[in-house]
Amino acid sequence: MISKSNSALLIVGHGSTVNPDSSAPTLAHAAEIRRRKLFAEVGCAFWKEESSLRDAIFLFDPASIREVYVVPNFISEGYFAQTVIPRELELNGRLTKRSSGQIWKYCDPVGNHSLVTKLLLKRAEEVAQDADPAETSLLIVAHGTDLNENSAVAAKREADKIRSLGKYAAVLNAYMEESPLVSDWQKLTRTTNVVVVPFFISDGLHSYEDIPVLLGITKEGSTRLRSPERPTTRQAMTSRVARGEVFRRNPYKVDDRSLFYASSIGTDPGFADIIIEQAAKFDSESSLAG
Amino acid sequence: MLNAIERTLEVALTGCRRIGQIAIRKLDIGGFALSHCDDEGCDDLKVFCSAPEDAIELSKFDDAGNYRPLKTAPNLRHDWRLELATLEELSCAIDHFYPGRLAVFVAWKTSQLRTTPLRETLDRQSGMYRVAAKISDEQIDNVVGNFCRSDGGCLRTILWKRNKRGTVASTKLPREKFDPLHDQTGHKERCIPLLCQEPCNLLVNECRRAVKGE
Repeated sequence: MISKSNSALLIVGHGSTVNPDSSAPTLAHAAEIRRRKLFAEVGCAFWKEESSLRDAIFLFDPASIREVYVVPNFISEGYFAQTVIPRELELNGRLTKRSSGQIWKYCDPVGNHSLVTKLLLKRAEEVAQDADPAETSLLIVAHGTDLNENSAVAAKREADKIRSLGKYAAVLNAYMEESPLVSDWQKLTRTTNVVVVPFFISDGLHSYEDIPVLLGITKEGSTRLRSPERPTTRQAMTSRVARGEVFRRNPYKVDDRSLFYASSIGTDPGFADIIIEQAAKFDSESSLAG
Repeated sequence: MLNAIERTLEVALTGCRRIGQIAIRKLDIGGFALSHCDDEGCDDLKVFCSAPEDAIELSKFDDAGNYRPLKTAPNLRHDWRLELATLEELSCAIDHFYPGRLAVFVAWKTSQLRTTPLRETLDRQSGMYRVAAKISDEQIDNVVGNFCRSDGGCLRTILWKRNKRGTVASTKLPREKFDPLHDQTGHKERCIPLLCQEPCNLLVNECRRAVKGE
C-alpha cells in the first residue's frame, strides 16, 4: 500500500534534444497523477531533457519523503531500463537505501504491464470506429534493430496477445527497419481495412513522418532511417500542429484499401494508470516475496 | 503544509524576485505573476492563468519558434504573463521553466548537494557516449567555454570541477560563472541561482562531438 504522505513518484522518460513532443506524454501523465494526490510529490526525469536523471537524485527531500517509486516510462525493458537509469540514479537493484535513509524502489517499465494490451485495443477501436474488426487487420509497429531496446520483442508479444483474442481478422507486428517491414503492409495484409498503431512512448519523427512515408500515406517528410544526415533542430521543429494532421485524415484510401493511422500508444492518458499500477505492483510483489 | 522546496522558495522571495530570466511578482490580491524579466512593466502581455502546466508550453520554444532542448539557455520567449494562485503552483511552474533547479538549490542551501567532476561523468558513459571520455583538456576548455557561457549558452552557475583534482571547468569562462551570487543574465540583480552540480547530457554530447571531430 502506497502511503501518500511520505512517498514520491519519479517517472523517467527518454526525452529528446530535437523533438519537442518527446517528453509531453510523460509530463501529462505526471500532471494527472499529481492531480489525483496519490503521492506526496510527483517528479519527472529524462535522459535527454531536464530534469536530468542526475538532478532527480536531489528532487525529493529525505526529511519528508521516505520512499521514492521510480517508474520508467519506456515501452520495453532494454538498455535504458537495465543500464542507463540504474547507473544515473545510483540504484543498486530493485531496492536502494540512500545514506539519508530514503528508500528508492525501481519498478518495471510501463510497457511490461498487461494493461498495454487493452490500450492498444482501445486505440485501434477509436481510430477505426466504423471498421468491422472481422474485416480488419491490426498492425503494431515498432522500430526494430534499435539499441537493445527489445521493442521488437514487446511489439510481437502484444500482437500475439491480441491475436489470441480472435477479434481482428489478422494481427501483425511490423517494423521500420527489420522484417516484417511496415512498408510491406499491402503484401502482409489481405483485409479491406488496416489499422496501424505505432508502438512508441511519444509522437515524434517516427510517427509523424517516417512511418507515414513507409506506409505511403504521405510523400513529404524525411526518411531518415540509418541516414548519416541527422535532422537539425529547425527541421525537427516543423509545426507540431501540421505534423499531428497525419492522425486526423483517416481513413487513407490506398488502392481499394482503407488505412487508419493512430498516434503513438504512449500518448494514451491510460498510461497514467499503468504508471500507478507499476508502483503498486512493486509493493505487492515485494510482500509476496517477503 | 509546505514542502522543503516551497519553504525555501518562500524565504528566498523575501530577498529577491528573479530566477533566471523570469521575474516573479507578488500580487496584491494574493498569488504571483511571472513574466520574462525583459517584459516587466508591459501591460499588453498574453495572460495565462489556467494551471502551472502552462509553463511547459511557454518554456518549450524561443521567440523564433525553435525548440529549446536546454531550458536554462538564455532564450526564454517573451510576451507572456503567467498568474498563479499559490506558492505550490509557483513552485510547480518554476520547475517547468527550469526543471530540477529549485530542488538542487534546496540541496545546496542545506549542504546536501554533491557535485560531480566532468571527467567522472564522461568516464561512466556507455554506448554512443563512451567515446566522449577521450576528450583532451584543451578541447574541454573550448567546449565548456563555448557551450556553458552565460552569454548565449547557459545561465547556470557551474559548481562542478573538471576532474577530482579540482581543476577549473574551463579556463575560457570568467570567474563569475562559478559564483552563485552573480546574476548570470547580466542584469546585476539579486536572484535565485540556477545551480549546476554536474555536466548535463547536452554537454556530454558536445564533448562526444568534439572527440569525433563533428
